[in-house]
Amino acid sequence: MDSIVILFITGLLGLFVGMRRQAVLSLSISILGLIFAGIAAYFRGTYISPLASYSGYIPTPSNVIILLCVVSILAVLGGFQRYKQDEEHTGDYLSLLLFSLCGAIILAQPNDMMLFFIGLEILSIPIYVLVGIEKGSATSAEAAVKYFFTGSFASAIILFGIALLYGATGSFQIIEIQSNLAIGIWQSPMAMLGSLFLLAGFVFKIGAVPFHFWGPDVYQGASNAVLMYMSTIVKIAGIYAVLNVFGQIFRDSYFFWIDLIALIIVLSMFYGYITAWKQTSFKRLLAYSSIANAGLMLFALSDILNSNILLFVAAYSFATIPLVVINQLANPTQDAIANWEGIAWKNPLVGVALVIALFSLAGIPPLAGFFGKFSLLLAAVPHLPYAAILALVASVVGVFVYLRLLILALKKPTVQTKQSLSIEQSAVLLLTTLGSLSALYFI
Amino acid sequence: MQANMSIGTSLDFFLFVAIALFAIGAIGAMTRKNMIVLLMCIELMLNAVNLMLVTFSTYYGNGDAQIFVFFTMVVAAAEATVGLSIIIMAYRNLKSIDIDMYNQLKN
Repeated sequence: MDSIVILFITGLLGLFVGMRRQAVLSLSISILGLIFAGIAAYFRGTYISPLASYSGYIPTPSNVIILLCVVSILAVLGGFQRYKQDEEHTGDYLSLLLFSLCGAIILAQPNDMMLFFIGLEILSIPIYVLVGIEKGSATSAEAAVKYFFTGSFASAIILFGIALLYGATGSFQIIEIQSNLAIGIWQSPMAMLGSLFLLAGFVFKIGAVPFHFWGPDVYQGASNAVLMYMSTIVKIAGIYAVLNVFGQIFRDSYFFWIDLIALIIVLSMFYGYITAWKQTSFKRLLAYSSIANAGLMLFALSDILNSNILLFVAAYSFATIPLVVINQLANPTQDAIANWEGIAWKNPLVGVALVIALFSLAGIPPLAGFFGKFSLLLAAVPHLPYAAILALVASVVGVFVYLRLLILALKKPTVQTKQSLSIEQSAVLLLTTLGSLSALYFI
Repeated sequence: MQANMSIGTSLDFFLFVAIALFAIGAIGAMTRKNMIVLLMCIELMLNAVNLMLVTFSTYYGNGDAQIFVFFTMVVAAAEATVGLSIIIMAYRNLKSIDIDMYNQLKN
């Protein structure tokens, strides 16, 4: 509750401070706001303002808010080089980012369909704007157009699903919908159709297989700075929304949906990793890898009480952000994997961060990515044994996708050149590497 | 769904209208090429849902859904604002608002 207020006020302040056209000042204000929002979540996470309290209100768990704030700090720092290029708009970009984070926090623990829909829109609308920040570029405009139309179409589909579920149960509160569906209404055509539309909208938003087509195009057209934010925060908030909305309302009838979800998981993983093989653009490769990871995240639906999705999404974010930062160094203007050749030898920090991030994404044992995948699959095996085995097979394909990138980056260049890093980029690479390694501590 | 609908046929009628509007909007959003028309189709889908929510609200006799309708309207307005600005930005770059012209992003 406090975190949302702090982020909103910081965002407003950032809009005014942005008029002074001092990029570093805007950056410090946003970072301070994000840090205070994280601290507020830690100390006053369970506090509910009397104005906002109504029956059944559950605040977002403080560890989720802290993860969202930390990932946003990393994304803001990593993308700062791009944001400060348009001096007059730096404050606006950072404020849009903070407003969108407010939506992500609301979306992560909705207890009411109304709150859920508002959170989804507050998260999405600033990102539609941010995708188009390269105002002079045709590809950025195309990505913004595609993201806007597919995203708002998905919102309309979700809204239709919410209306049908309201028609079947007579309530917007998730607890009431769940208890009304549990007495057998879930078999009524209206509730079935409503849940199908809701699921379709969710799959659209997190970008899993039947509705993944927008992902690669939007990721390719978006700027690296925005990509860092978009590929992590939307996935984290989206998967928590799936768990807390879809997982909660179908707690008693999940055996009916679980086969469909297993199909989505297996298709997403195989499609994502196999298509990632032949990509020549890094951003598209990342998009296909994120389709596969979205499939993996859906495993949490098989057992919503015991799954440790937090570790998985944290590991995924700490591995994705440094890769995009490195792509920003390797491809300042274009976007080709070929430019990655030898990037690891140009700066020691880049080399270490790149190896750790790719190993973590591939799920090599001592890193965070492995423990995330392991705990997710361990909880899913009793419920979805075949899907878990197929997911392991797909992960092996995924390891080769990441190793291909690693081999290219580790190729010894003939001409030795140096790549300098700015302070905030070094900080991001250092922090994410430590984050991926910190899983060792828990062994 | 309860078998005894208190307002019987009229509920069905309103639901059919809402679903028809939603289907028209959805089919339009998938087949039309002009971006302004696409935006209108998405607005039509949102408004069809509004009609549906108000119908259910009357049927159940509680006002929750009518409050939801106001939120949906605000969201639709915000989406239209952002959407029109994106369309203008895109037009400046490609001098066209035909969605088929936007096909440069590929592998």
